[in-house]
Amino acid sequence: MINLGSYLAISFALFVCGILVMIARKNIIAMLLGIELILNASALNFAAYTKFTNNNLDGHIVSLFIIVIAAAEAAVGLGIVIRFFQLRESIHIDDAATLQN
Amino acid sequence: MFTNTLFLLSALVTLGGAVAVVYSQNLMHACIYLLASLFGVAGLYACIGADFLAATQLVVYAGGVVILMLFAIMLTGGTGNNINRYGLEKVAAMGNKKTYFFAGITAVIFSLVILKILANVLKAQPASVLAANEPTVERLGTILATDHILAFEISSILLLGALIGAAVISRPRKERHD
Repeated sequence: MINLGSYLAISFALFVCGILVMIARKNIIAMLLGIELILNASALNFAAYTKFTNNNLDGHIVSLFIIVIAAAEAAVGLGIVIRFFQLRESIHIDDAATLQN
Repeated sequence: MFTNTLFLLSALVTLGGAVAVVYSQNLMHACIYLLASLFGVAGLYACIGADFLAATQLVVYAGGVVILMLFAIMLTGGTGNNINRYGLEKVAAMGNKKTYFFAGITAVIFSLVILKILANVLKAQPASVLAANEPTVERLGTILATDHILAFEISSILLLGALIGAAVISRPRKERHD
């Protein structure tokens, strides 16, 4: 039951869910939720390939760096969202269509 | 068998949480469903013997990122389509029918492409016997401090930059653009 195919299938389903969230939602924070799902799918793939090929833990290292980068991205992205809300009083993605004012 | 049960439970929680993130009406509920999905991914890590990775996933995502997102949701006017003093009736947690239509088309195209690639991978899958799960923390620490030391240092600088950058970006300013 626990083999590479099942892990790839789960990761694939996570990735498609993240793509759906990123495209379908109109709220900037909801789109960030979709990005987290996609990053998790890729990290899961790295860990699964490490386990089911040669088990030398390089995939674990890459997954760790993916988690670090996701945390940094969430912090900066949410800072930008809060700044945008201070300026426009909205977090609708269609309001972020101009470069100035 | 314990590992198989854990795997099934984790897969169910992961996929159920991900689908609920897509179709939840309330943004706060979507964030909690994302938390469930991340817990499930941690369980999946544990099933393939990645103990340190599972712990890091729980600490960083469940303890950090999801809480940060909940704070950001509450700082930007809460959930739903209710009208508050900021005129937040334009904030839709969900998209409309058109965005869901295009997202569905994109998902179908991505599914076809990925399944086409995965078919070859799964056909050539070796049926080898798995190595036993052993603690990975010591080996991970050795690898991280020798082979991947440059990436480690760069990620520390990246985290410092993200910390300062987030504080600089979201600080309140005197002049307001109205």
